[in-house]
Amino acid sequence: MRDLRSIEVVLKGGRRTIICLPPQSKRGFMGKVEIAIGACLMILSGVFYGITFQFPEQTLAFSPKIFPRFVGICLFILSAILVTQGTLAVRKGLADEPTKPTKAFLTRLLCAILIGYIYTQLLPIAGYIVATPPFIAGIMLVFNEKRMIRIGACAIITTSVLYIVFRIIFKVPLPRFDLF
Amino acid sequence: MAPILEGFLFVLHPLHFPFLVAGVGLGIIVGALPGLTASVGIILLLPFVFYLDVSTAMVMLCGAFCGGIYGGSIAAILIATPGTPSAAATVLDGYPLAQKGEAGKAIGVATIASTSGGIISTLCLMFFAPKLARIALAFGPEEYFALTVFGLTVIASVAGKSLSKGLIAGFFGLMIATVGIDPVEGYARYSFGIPNLMGGFSLLPVLIGLFAISQIFVQMEMVGKKVKKYEQKIGRILPSLNELKKLFFVIVPASFLGTFIGIIPGTGGAIASFLAYNETKRWSKDPDSFGKGNIAGVAAPEAANNGTTGGAMVPLLTLGIPGDVVTAVMLGCLLLIGVRPGPLLFKESPEVVNAVFAGLLLANVLILFLGVISVRVFPKVLRIPPSILFPVIFTLCFLGAFSLNNSTYDMFVALVFGIIGYVMQKNGFPAAPVVLGVILGPIAEDVLARSLIISHGDWSTLFNSPIAIFFYAISTISVIYSLKQQFADRESGTEQNDKK
Repeated sequence: MRDLRSIEVVLKGGRRTIICLPPQSKRGFMGKVEIAIGACLMILSGVFYGITFQFPEQTLAFSPKIFPRFVGICLFILSAILVTQGTLAVRKGLADEPTKPTKAFLTRLLCAILIGYIYTQLLPIAGYIVATPPFIAGIMLVFNEKRMIRIGACAIITTSVLYIVFRIIFKVPLPRFDLF
Repeated sequence: MAPILEGFLFVLHPLHFPFLVAGVGLGIIVGALPGLTASVGIILLLPFVFYLDVSTAMVMLCGAFCGGIYGGSIAAILIATPGTPSAAATVLDGYPLAQKGEAGKAIGVATIASTSGGIISTLCLMFFAPKLARIALAFGPEEYFALTVFGLTVIASVAGKSLSKGLIAGFFGLMIATVGIDPVEGYARYSFGIPNLMGGFSLLPVLIGLFAISQIFVQMEMVGKKVKKYEQKIGRILPSLNELKKLFFVIVPASFLGTFIGIIPGTGGAIASFLAYNETKRWSKDPDSFGKGNIAGVAAPEAANNGTTGGAMVPLLTLGIPGDVVTAVMLGCLLLIGVRPGPLLFKESPEVVNAVFAGLLLANVLILFLGVISVRVFPKVLRIPPSILFPVIFTLCFLGAFSLNNSTYDMFVALVFGIIGYVMQKNGFPAAPVVLGVILGPIAEDVLARSLIISHGDWSTLFNSPIAIFFYAISTISVIYSLKQQFADRESGTEQNDKK
């Protein structure tokens, strides 16, 4: 179920066995993606540093701009190192090919993010009991669940159980319908 | 003995004990499910422990910690897929045993070994932690600043394959931590006039997003792919008395090894389990049988990885420095429930410390009972369809984020950090340093400010203390070591490429 690395190990006597290891970065060497990420981080850290000029001057021995500036400079330097490593790896031909996500997966991911975002916006308006079952149903559809009865049952049961746990047992006030 | 007895009385109280059982049970289930780790289990418990008193919450979290580390062995044995990274070595002999029809015995051995490892490491924790806490009481702001630098560099250097990516993740976490009211002058930084941003980013939604929601996105890649199932029946569970006697000489050394590895910040269960496996194989009279279903090959890594639980709690409780990724998440959780780990915890809240010690001991005993009783249920747990499991977890994540401040803004933050966490995971950036940066950033800034105020702006004060210099030295050594490892890995990779 997990995106695991598998390595084949040859044991003494010639017997082979497959070991499944936890997922790590597929790339041991830097590539174009690292260059892109490093460049974005350099811009981000530059902006982060630039905004500190708006902070007030210090009144005590420690200004509110010192720590952000230190973080911004370090992040800029590290991002530049990342870009350099990525560039060197690409030039030497050591960079692994990035694994391109499939169109189906990207669609699923975007749908899940969109459904999640809509849920966060709808929850204070429609309330927990109205907004949550469609959210659960939507995510189940994203996970390729096709049986409608199962979707309906799971959505209602999960909503009910979580309502009991949060609202009744832990007395966490959940959003109510507030459209009118 | 009296203080620890008070701890036992607290944990065994009918009002508190069910929470320990629930924590261990949930930890085992979450740890057993591939795609979820012990960290996710602890994070999912957070919205619930928030409403408990501090000691009960700590006990429940410790139960989930121990249960989660043990739970990883179940999937490792049944379907050759470790439920947690620390169970990776268990696959080597656990899965061959399951293929021979001895899955029950493998799980039984894993359960006994995990219990033993956990108990031994907790006893070591009870011995070492108070002594270390007494030393740490002498720490001033300069020493604490050096400690936060140490914590960040160690986790960054060992959390992933690349030191630069680990450090970038750490500084990214520090950057996130600077958003909001600064701890010295009270100025709202990077808020852009938005009221929600004035409070910064709450730790809980960041944790939920980076670890739980990102993992849900990762699992979407597996949609449509065939899921491994364990089809055989679970037979006999417990090993024979003879086998247990032989395993004693495997389990005890592995437990101490795991405890020692756990105490070193930045290591963790995965390293401990592989080390224990290798050493057990090396000293075995029959090393050829390893990899073919030798029960010592299951006992050693399981004793070691659960041995890290108590060991990792030593630096966590005494210094506030996590021993591994899971304890980095634990640190965030402790801060959220109002526990500030460090030497003052032992002085000001000894009842919490005693509850933790008793809770860890009893959690490991519970693992033995729950593991043996529910072993035949485990294959069914692994069959829960992802199309049901992950939507439920997604909802729980959102509700958990909401429940902190009754704010949908926190749900949005969790979603955003879920996307960030997913992108990070796919590109080899570890999440643990981000969490540490978010946690340690405000602490580091606060103690740095205090040092400079006391010294009237003299930066050299940071280097006057021998303890501070010691921590800077270890930080430098860990960075250099990590760089050496990276270059060595790169050279061996280059050689392999050349051979191809």
